[in-house]
Formats: sequence, C-alpha cells, structure tokens
Amino acid sequence: MSVLPVTPSQTVGPFFHDCLLREDRCEGPASDDGGAQIRVEGRVIDGDGAAVPDAVIEVWHAAGFARIGTDAEGRFSFSTTRPKRVEFERGTMQAPHLSIAVFARGLMNHLFTRIYFDDDPSTESDPILRLVPEVRRTTLIATRDPGESLTPLYRFDVVLQGVSETVFFDFRSPAS
Amino acid sequence: MITTIGEIVRGDATVFPPYLYAAYRSTVRRAPRLPLVEVPLTASELTRSRLDVSRVTDEDADLTRNAGTGGEALGQRIIVTGRVMDEHGLPVPGALLEVWQANAAGRYVHKRDDWPGPLDPNFLGIGRCLTAAAGEYRFLTVRPGAYPWGNHENAWRPAHIHFSVLAPSWSQRLVTQMYFPDDPLLALDPILNAVPEGARSRLVAMYAHDVTEPHWALGWRWDIVLAGPRATAFEAREQSAA
Repeated sequence: MSVLPVTPSQTVGPFFHDCLLREDRCEGPASDDGGAQIRVEGRVIDGDGAAVPDAVIEVWHAAGFARIGTDAEGRFSFSTTRPKRVEFERGTMQAPHLSIAVFARGLMNHLFTRIYFDDDPSTESDPILRLVPEVRRTTLIATRDPGESLTPLYRFDVVLQGVSETVFFDFRSPAS
Repeated sequence: MITTIGEIVRGDATVFPPYLYAAYRSTVRRAPRLPLVEVPLTASELTRSRLDVSRVTDEDADLTRNAGTGGEALGQRIIVTGRVMDEHGLPVPGALLEVWQANAAGRYVHKRDDWPGPLDPNFLGIGRCLTAAAGEYRFLTVRPGAYPWGNHENAWRPAHIHFSVLAPSWSQRLVTQMYFPDDPLLALDPILNAVPEGARSRLVAMYAHDVTEPHWALGWRWDIVLAGPRATAFEAREQSAA
C-alpha cells in the first residue's frame, strides 16, 4: 500500500528533443564490460501503420542506459553490449533481453516492453516470455539479420496499436 | 470533459491516465488496444544501471542563464523546488531530473513549434539536476507562457513544465508535467484531464512564500512521488560502498 499520493504520468509531448536527446544522453549503453557488441534497428509504427517520428526509445540493461529518438520515418537504431542472462527466481534464469521504454506524443504513460533474440536458445524457455500469450510472443523477439555485418544486426519494430501490436507490460510488485 | 476513455492503463487506474483519451487526439492511433501483459518485477527492472551523469553541472539547473549567451532570460523569475520520494515516503536521491518548457511568451525553441510567439535568445528552456540526499531538487527558471496547439479549435495548453525522472529503479521511471494553480486553462486541457480527477491536483505546484526570495524570484513547491519499489537492497549496499 502506498502512503503518499503517487504522481501521475503525462505525455512527453512533441518538444522534448533538445532536452531528452542532448548529445551526451544518446550514446549506446556502455560497453566497458568487454562483451560482444550487437546492433538493433527498427521502427515505431502507429495503428494506421504510419511512422511515429516523435518517439523516444530507452534501453536499460546491466551494461548501461541509452535513449534514442525516432527519425522522420519512425526509425531508430542503437548498438550495445550483448546482454547476459539475469536471475529470475532462485535457481532459474531469464533469457538475455533488453528492457525497453517507449515514449511519444500521444502516449499518456510510457510503454514497457522487452527485446529478446531469436538466435538465443534460452529465449524459448524464458519465464517472462512464457507469461505472454503464445501468439503474441514473436512481437518481443528481435530477428537476426542474415546479412554479413561485423556486428550482429537484429530487427525489432514497436507496433503501438493493431493486429501485430507489440506486447507491453504492466509490472506486478513483489508481495510486501 | 466528455470523451472516449480507454480501459487500458498501466499502474493504478485511479492515478494514471488511460492510454486512450480521445479528446487528446494523438492518443487515438497511438494507444495500445490489446491488454497489457502483467508480469512480476525481476532483477532486470529492480537493479541500478550505471548512469553517466558526471556531466550534470550546477549551471544546468539555472534555465535563466544556461543558454550560453551571457544574457538572462526574460519573464517572471521563479524557483521550482521539491522532493522526489517513493510511495512509502522515502527520499529518492541520485535521480536524474530533466525539465523542458516554453519561454515566458509560450514559445519553444523547437523546429516544430512555429506559432508566432517571440523567441528569447537567452532562453533554451532545458535544464537538469540530480536529486540530493533527501531527494531534493531545485530549478531557477522563468514562468512559462501558455501556447496554442492544433488539437481542437482555439486549443491552448496551460502553462506547464515537462519533467522526466530517471530513478535508480527502472520500474520507477516517470515522465510528467507540472502546472500552476491559478490557470483558467487547466479545466480545458485534455492532457491534464486525462488524469483521473482525484489525482489531477498532484500535478499542480503550490505557491511557497518560504521559497520566494526577496527582490529576486517567486517560489513554487512540487513534490514527486514515484510508484513502484525502489532499487534492490543489494544495489543500495553497492551504492553506499562506492
């Protein structure tokens, strides 16, 4: 139970760029843990299939934090260290993933999602992914681009609304 | 305000706005329509990620002078201060607060803001700071003006300051807006009114005469209470050892 009145969210609006995307906040998550680099590219799309040119994607994992704005075609891309497995409950592990938050004009609260990787054998048995209805799981799994790039490239689109809508999460607090 | 209100809300539906609030037109094609999937918080959401905030300077919190021109912004000088706390009332120190706002005339320094309000060469309208040990923050700025937008006929946003709060726990992430109490546009604003009625006043700052500085600036106090559990004890120990 909360004892203080929680502050509600509001949209990020259209004018956040100079503040939230200052040069020194837009870098990929730090790669100083020596892990292998990966690259993720994708688009943010609305319920009409139209590009969302004023969205911000935040990426959070053990190696750091990054923020990326979408361009006029709704595209975003970032490079980061390949995430490692993280503990779930005692003795069980989660598959490697990136935690993602999506902000945009018109989103009254940010959306939480995750990026998993289709070429990781542990993805299929991930305990969070297994809580997602089976038909929707693919929306959380980035696909490895077959091209021969030096850094492995993954594709991941964020679909805000529609038949192929990305799965967004509501976190349940641990019992206290 | 009579409008179509969606059922999908993340977090407490008595506090947080629904994604679909049709009076704010941009929600109609961007709000998710499928149910959010409820999952437990894990170490991924509860651990502190390394944030490179070494470049946050004191000057960043003074929006009246941080344009780098040597000149001072025009408008009513105000101090906006408060505390960032979790829902149990514990302070959240080390959170990165980022703010952006229109100038005193209601104009943003932004290529997509093209209404004929005057720009102020000495005002960028962006600032940031880190919360101190008791969760305190403080910005010096000018009171923003209202501005027109294209949502509906003769639509004007009430004066507001955008706040982004990046706390040590990912699940506590918050982006919101702070408003001023004596503003007739509040009742007409679909963005504020998307918040459930009982929680709207939490986005409105209070005039604080004890914050007001004589012959200098008017004071406003606004506390921010973050939903969700704080970073794990393990991480907190690591923090204090650092």
